Amino acid sequence: MHIPDGFLATPVWLGLNAAGLPLVGYLARQAQRHSQESRVPLLGVMGAFVFAAQMINFPVGVGASGHLVGSALLAITLGPAAAAVVMTAILAIQALIFQDGGVLALGANVLNMALAGVLAGYLPYHWWGEGRFRRAAIFLGGFASVLVGAVLAIAELRLSGVPIPAAVLWVSLALFTVTAALEGAITVAVVGGLERLGIGLARQPVEARPRGLAVVGLAAVLLAAVGVLFASTYPDGLEKMAQALGLEEHARALYSTPLADYSLRWLGSSWTAQAVAGLLGLTVIFGLLILLGRMFARRGSR
Amino acid sequence: MHHAVLDHWSRGRGVLHARDGQVKILLLIALLIAVATTPRLTAANVAGYAITVLAAAALARLPLPAVLLRAAVVLPFSATFAAVSLLAGDSQRAAALVLKSYLSAAAVLVLVGCTPLARLLRALEGLRVPRFLLLVVQFLYRYLFLISEQAQHMRLAALSRGGWRFRLAAGAVANLFVRSYARAEGVHRAMLARGFQGETVLLAAPRADWRDWLFLLCGLVLVTALRFGGEAPWTR
Repeated sequence: MHIPDGFLATPVWLGLNAAGLPLVGYLARQAQRHSQESRVPLLGVMGAFVFAAQMINFPVGVGASGHLVGSALLAITLGPAAAAVVMTAILAIQALIFQDGGVLALGANVLNMALAGVLAGYLPYHWWGEGRFRRAAIFLGGFASVLVGAVLAIAELRLSGVPIPAAVLWVSLALFTVTAALEGAITVAVVGGLERLGIGLARQPVEARPRGLAVVGLAAVLLAAVGVLFASTYPDGLEKMAQALGLEEHARALYSTPLADYSLRWLGSSWTAQAVAGLLGLTVIFGLLILLGRMFARRGSR
Repeated sequence: MHHAVLDHWSRGRGVLHARDGQVKILLLIALLIAVATTPRLTAANVAGYAITVLAAAALARLPLPAVLLRAAVVLPFSATFAAVSLLAGDSQRAAALVLKSYLSAAAVLVLVGCTPLARLLRALEGLRVPRFLLLVVQFLYRYLFLISEQAQHMRLAALSRGGWRFRLAAGAVANLFVRSYARAEGVHRAMLARGFQGETVLLAAPRADWRDWLFLLCGLVLVTALRFGGEAPWTR
């Protein structure tokens, strides 16, 4: 889901650009400093490959079809830092040439898909890529990469005050879950195809790492969920819709989590407080992404 | 491939083509920020922004209908959210979503339509975007159409052999992956053979002269006027 310009509130796009783009710059510098120079053509051509692969449709059942998104596949084959750079390049070309996603919204899209998406696509493979859970890990990576990107995009839109009523939210989450499952299946099938071709391009998962990384990663995922919750508690639009449909009680039951209620009492129920809380959540996620990016970049340098 | 049309446009000889890339990028960002931060779009705002974008497209001698049509690719996304906003009773926001995203897309299109990608990337490097990332973008664009055609050929070949199933598609993507990987290595070897040593010389950027600075100044004044003019008393 590429967010166009004109959708995000100023603090949101400004903040996400300020946080996301320097991080990509950092990753790019790391990739440049620590890799063989063959990386430049390799990353560029593999970016073109993902573009082309996105045009190949995967038929599933009656008349429906999907296509590869590719961040998990890239993360598994090229490593997460390189994959983040390639996905950023893809998003830049999409924004400039294809008007798919905005220029001011580039930071948001890069965070959603090139940083969080790649990370979510890589972590399961990193942890369980060896042994009997290998296929499940690859599937989970593809699944998580799409779902995390979509959920973050929805959170940013809600944070910007774009009304997304409960019904629409649940329908779109259900659709994204289906798309995400499809991405998982496609990623597994393509990695399987690569292995049948007898070419061991898929990076071997790294040997058991200290638990720190796992804990930080899980915390990041958890915090992402919390950030979405904070964003979702912001009442405008949602309540109007609920009131109009007489669904207020129902919607409240759906949306009130203990945490959300706590935040309401703690911060007061004003819109600003909610937005600040959401932004804080996203900021923490950024911090964690930067930490993880550093770790990956350092390991890539060995 | 129809996207080659941008390459065709960007090599034209309009007034905007001759201006410095960095100046054009700065003006585009100023315009995008102005559009994005306008709190309540008035008719005067919208008319001002639209006339500016259209005038820029005309200065770049871009075909207006084609520009307007290509920018419309944002509309399905915007219209969906606009419809939801309407249902939620927020018609102001619905209009803003559609108008802002469309105007922004058209503005980006005008910039890309009057600046070849190589010069655009060179200008971005001057604006401190990491060269490594820009090189990746450049390589990506260079091989985009080639590999896309390869993908189409593979699909066509599979179809003509009678059928297209999930497994076949996965095999095709895996095959494409391996071919692309091999191509990248071939490209790299060719570059080494021509003396590549890890540093790539991008197109030399012509220095901005007084006309570019004047253009920047006028552009910034115009954008500021558009951003704040809508709130001035004489337009109410």
